[in-house]
Amino acid sequence: MFNLLSMDLYRVKRSKSVYVCFLLLAAATVLVYGIMWLLEMPKGQEIALRIGLLVPQEVTEAESILDGIDSLGFFRQICLDGGMYNVVFGIWVMLFICADFQSGFIKNIMALHQNRWNYIGSKIMTAWIVDGCYLVLHLLFALLMNRLFDDLVPYAGWKDILFYLSWVWFVTAAFAALIIFICVLTRSVAAGSLAAVLLGGGLVVTALYGVLNMFNIGDWLKYSIYLTCAMGPQKYTSVKNLYVYVVGFGFLILYTLIAGIVLKKKDI
Amino acid sequence: MVSTEGRDKLAIETMALTKMYRDKAAVKNVTLKVREGEIYGFIGRNGAGKSTALKMVSGLASPTEGEIRLFGKPVSDPAVRRRLGVLIEAAGLYPNMTARQNAVMKAKCMGLADERSVDTVLKVTGLADTGRKKVKHFSMGMKQRLGVALALLGNPDLLLMDEPINGLDPEGIRELRQLILELHAEGKTILISSHILGELSKIATSYGIIKDGELIEQISREELEEKCQDYFRIEVQDVQRALVMIQETFPDVQAEVSDARSIRLYGVQDGAEVNQMLIENRVSVYESGFHHMDLEEYFLERMGKEGGR
Repeated sequence: MFNLLSMDLYRVKRSKSVYVCFLLLAAATVLVYGIMWLLEMPKGQEIALRIGLLVPQEVTEAESILDGIDSLGFFRQICLDGGMYNVVFGIWVMLFICADFQSGFIKNIMALHQNRWNYIGSKIMTAWIVDGCYLVLHLLFALLMNRLFDDLVPYAGWKDILFYLSWVWFVTAAFAALIIFICVLTRSVAAGSLAAVLLGGGLVVTALYGVLNMFNIGDWLKYSIYLTCAMGPQKYTSVKNLYVYVVGFGFLILYTLIAGIVLKKKDI
Repeated sequence: MVSTEGRDKLAIETMALTKMYRDKAAVKNVTLKVREGEIYGFIGRNGAGKSTALKMVSGLASPTEGEIRLFGKPVSDPAVRRRLGVLIEAAGLYPNMTARQNAVMKAKCMGLADERSVDTVLKVTGLADTGRKKVKHFSMGMKQRLGVALALLGNPDLLLMDEPINGLDPEGIRELRQLILELHAEGKTILISSHILGELSKIATSYGIIKDGELIEQISREELEEKCQDYFRIEVQDVQRALVMIQETFPDVQAEVSDARSIRLYGVQDGAEVNQMLIENRVSVYESGFHHMDLEEYFLERMGKEGGR
């Protein structure tokens, strides 16, 4: 499996998609910080008034929508709460997996590695590594933006950041495993993209929530990947907060197992 | 060169190999034997089951029934898999990478630490100078050669090649033929499936013919030569009359009616004698001459015979 991991990391470093997806995340961060700076900061409001984005009445009457939000809260609102991160990361995972099937390189791999779990294991680990890099770099980029935009929000404590990043890393890795499973099953870029958007953006969970709520069991969906990302704890306050690790680890194992079984069942 | 002892050992052995897709058998009960050091030509029409059989041997598809052994060991043995180089259908290559990057990927997949082997296979296949050109800009022939290069990584003892000369120009075909012969001389076992039978007949040392998923014949080059013996073909007005006269006049000659107007005669020493006899007996002869059956003719004949079963 480590031979495959070495091969995958070699490919990640040389593929454009990994950089393009990060640029998308960074661009969205700049855009949100820019807009909030224009709406919230005195210097920004001056410019917003000058360009007609705001009228003077709005400036005086507006309540700050950033009240009570620190840098970590703002980061998660930009990145994870709305599902943008999972959509972008899911699309990268989809491109990474589907390229093997579309190019036919999978034949070179599978002719050598009869044990299909090696392939799945390597892909999960690669996705996890990229996921970790994305989360850390994106957070650092968001903090840099905060600094550049006149400390728009107060900085969060490092313990909160560590706690939040650690569980989010698990849960988003589980989402990667879900996308890997769908790509291994369908081997289709179209199906993979659709899954990344619908599942990452929370459309499926939202629709499902509506249906399950009719039977008063919609609350169970708070343990879904999407809602865990959106509603999981930002600070560690009690042992109950650790449920996020269970959700992340549970789904990671579940989807990894299903992906491995599907790959074993299907011919290349 | 492989020793005589080596030649008796089997590089590939399949036992009653079967692959079903729903109710349809793509490969039926195939018992294939490829000896070490052979160049084995695997022949069959489109959809006959060649690629499916090769995919099973290379581990890309799992058999519904049957067993596959490579060098006497089960195909699932990782040590055996490392002795196998595969080029099945189109070469599997990442289009946005260079030839070298693709080869390095395969080397990493195999766990080869030394990248010199990458440069060696690229040199052998004539792709060492492609530099930073991405595979998506390669010609079909270059892609095919890169596929061969990837199959050669790790110096495998057994090469499986499915239609390796597809898309190659005449020069490319000649170079690949030369390469295959060189690899054979090094003692490698090579299994090639190809539609270009003329090309295959220049290199193969034995053949397997597959039809509708069934292996209908396995034959060595020597046996094929014997079966493809010279024959005297005559085209006459009245086949039935000519046949009777030939059998009466030349009892040692074997005659075979090939169509409504042609007869094939095996064992004829002097064709003029046959012509003269028929003309003297007022049987019009439109055409006559000696003929040597090649692999293509033999294959088509077998296909025809099997089709008529």
